[in-house]
Amino acid sequence: MTQILIQGFLLSGLYALIAVGFTLIFSVGRVLNLAYGAYLVIGGYAYFWLSQTLGMPKIVGVLLAIVLGAVIGISKYRLIVKPLKGDHVAVEISTLILAVVVQAGIVLLFGDASKILHPIVSGVSRVGGATVTYNILTAAVVSWVILIGLYLFVRFTHLGRALEAVSMDVKGAAISGVDPDQMNQLTWAISGALGALAGVFFASYTQLYPGMWVTPLIIAVAVVIVGGIGSILGTLLVAHIIGFMEVISTSLIAAELRGVFTMLLIIVVLIIRPKGLFGRAEL
Amino acid sequence: MSTILSLAGIVKRFGGLVATNDLSFDVAQGESLGLIGPNGAGKTTIFSLIMGEHRQNEGTISLDGNEISSLPTHARIGRGISRTYQVPRPFAEMTVAENIRVGLMPDSLRGMLFGASDPQAELDLAQSVGFSGDDLDRYPSELSMGDLRKLELARTLATGARVILLDEVFAGLTAGEISQMADLINTKRKEGFTFVIVSHDLRSLEPLVDRVIAMARGALIAEGDFTSVMNDETVRSSYLGT
Amino acid sequence: MFATVNWRHLLLWAVFAAGMLLLPELVKKGTLRTIIMAQYLAIFAMSWDFLSGRTGYISFGHPFLIGIGAYTTAILSYRFGVPVELSIPIAVATTVVGSVLFFLPALRIRGSYFALVTLAFMELMYQLTQVIRPDLTGGTRGISGIETLTRGAVNGFYLSFVLMFVTAFVLWLLSRSRLGTALSAISMNEDAVAGSGLNTTKLKLFAFCVSAAVAGMGGAFWVHYLGSIAPRALFDINFLFTIIVAALIGGASTIIGPMAGAFFLTFLLEYLRPFLPGAERYLIYGGIALLIYMYQPKGLFEIVSRLWRRA
Repeated sequence: MTQILIQGFLLSGLYALIAVGFTLIFSVGRVLNLAYGAYLVIGGYAYFWLSQTLGMPKIVGVLLAIVLGAVIGISKYRLIVKPLKGDHVAVEISTLILAVVVQAGIVLLFGDASKILHPIVSGVSRVGGATVTYNILTAAVVSWVILIGLYLFVRFTHLGRALEAVSMDVKGAAISGVDPDQMNQLTWAISGALGALAGVFFASYTQLYPGMWVTPLIIAVAVVIVGGIGSILGTLLVAHIIGFMEVISTSLIAAELRGVFTMLLIIVVLIIRPKGLFGRAEL
Repeated sequence: MSTILSLAGIVKRFGGLVATNDLSFDVAQGESLGLIGPNGAGKTTIFSLIMGEHRQNEGTISLDGNEISSLPTHARIGRGISRTYQVPRPFAEMTVAENIRVGLMPDSLRGMLFGASDPQAELDLAQSVGFSGDDLDRYPSELSMGDLRKLELARTLATGARVILLDEVFAGLTAGEISQMADLINTKRKEGFTFVIVSHDLRSLEPLVDRVIAMARGALIAEGDFTSVMNDETVRSSYLGT
Repeated sequence: MFATVNWRHLLLWAVFAAGMLLLPELVKKGTLRTIIMAQYLAIFAMSWDFLSGRTGYISFGHPFLIGIGAYTTAILSYRFGVPVELSIPIAVATTVVGSVLFFLPALRIRGSYFALVTLAFMELMYQLTQVIRPDLTGGTRGISGIETLTRGAVNGFYLSFVLMFVTAFVLWLLSRSRLGTALSAISMNEDAVAGSGLNTTKLKLFAFCVSAAVAGMGGAFWVHYLGSIAPRALFDINFLFTIIVAALIGGASTIIGPMAGAFFLTFLLEYLRPFLPGAERYLIYGGIALLIYMYQPKGLFEIVSRLWRRA
């Protein structure tokens, strides 16, 4: 029981971190970035290459992976999303293609086989019969810090308010002197950075392999659909629902079924509420 | 004159906002009714409630004496009522003829599959709203605002509706286009069509309507012929925003 | 019936069929096998395009539909000895009925959410086929030794050609009808289609059923060509990607587009095989697809016909 509780909380923290970058784009840019999972792949592999192949210090590897994520986020916005001028169908299709391209590129560079990442923070302790690796504990803590930080940023800084304004009404924000283009670029950078960071932790929690973008994408999608667009509280809540469902089904039912509930959650929620549980307008 | 369209006790709330408040009015067969009021008075909401694009919280809407409140939009159109939009919504990658063709289609898969399109009917409809035969192959991107409104009217007429709701039909038109559109509406009135017209352009509206209803904040505030409604104290003050 | 069909069109179709049927005399067996794969991909791409290319409802779940057809006939014929003449029609019917049951609620959903639900269905199917009744589905390893319908490349070619040709011709007829016009109108402005007095749910359901029937049929015959089936090859993003890219680079919302795209991709793959043996070829695929898509979202068909008009 304690085992489930602790594992559930830690995994949920990781999932919240995975989802938050995705919801950010969904809420500010109003587009579905199906290549979001590619940030995780790129982040994970960049960290692997820098720290485990080149032998750089771990923290440098993490930071450079984050920077790379941000750069890729910006380029994606400038080269693909912006030229398509908010055409949802076109963005969905082109980002899906991009995700497959990234996956293939990774195979080309690093090969098909999965890689094991050394834990970013090593060490294990036992709490009430549950094994807690410091690695996932760090992931959970970092995730919480980032979520709280993001909340404070949106709430209390001028830039954050401007971001929120764009997410609510692009034209209105433009009239009040906010440059939506700049805000979008900023959002794509943050989203890419968060995705890459999440990728490092996700890869060290599971494994590093070229196709590792699908599962996080589905988790992120579920969080957005069920938790509502751009709601940080909703993100947290749903990440916990999914995290706990996974931990419970893994330990009590069958390990193979752990992803099934996430999919069922998406399907059931959308069928009951076609615009999402806390949906704001249609997309 | 018999009543063709009847709204009784319509209440529509969007969240906490009351868009229409206990609104009732009738439209007689062959009548042309003007619907006026300041922005946010609920005129467009009335249209979308009549067409079933939104559902009222309370009250009933009937057409020809039959309640239509539970029908979806396409079924209401099948009963003979249709509308145009403030912002015309043509099918952007289709020609004028194809746009009209969609309006002419019967709502049955069999009819759509096996029935051939009727170029003569498409031409007739296009000409009836003032297009020439050459216009049939033009695309919406090549059309002026006036032409787009004509196209939307043609598609609306193509559905076979006898009751037509026109939303801000003069908005964005040149003076010449306004008089063309007015002539067109008057011709259709003579042919027996029933109209409900929303417009801010009161001067253009005046010669087109038999009767006017004024709304403010979702409620009916005056009803009668054009001059008497215009001289109504409540109407004047609501337009001045006091 | 269809007023917009004239003898010139039919002549073109006849020339196309005659040209294709000559191929076994002209090309090597190996090439013929590549063409067979291209023809099955063309069937899947046309199926995807009839729903997504026309109505604008992007399906990321087509492997799910193909998978229902393929698994149904594979299980029936391999596990229960049902003759293929019976198991394939049952597979097509199951695909239509099963997918309608699943998707009927999804058709209420608009825009991006529709794409997400279909993606979730595909992943769900992938996980479930491995866990639920592995005695029937063969679990992760799938089923092999399934009865094949034809012997040799030539017969395989004739069968797949007939399937592709009939699919293309029927879908072409449908798209030339008023119903085809109405489906295209949905992608432009769904509300305006409803505002023209048409029941858009009925139209979407029709497009969906046709798409599912074609996918199920393609999947069923395909599995009886390959003789084996496994979940990872089927419910795979790369497979989904190949279908969508075939339709898009050829030209969505046309009939020739998805077919041309399927041939282009399959032959590209064949030529790349010696240089890029693994998954890397998707880098080339994707790069080309992305470039074409960003340059002209309507695909090669539109690029070629624009050049044609200019010339």
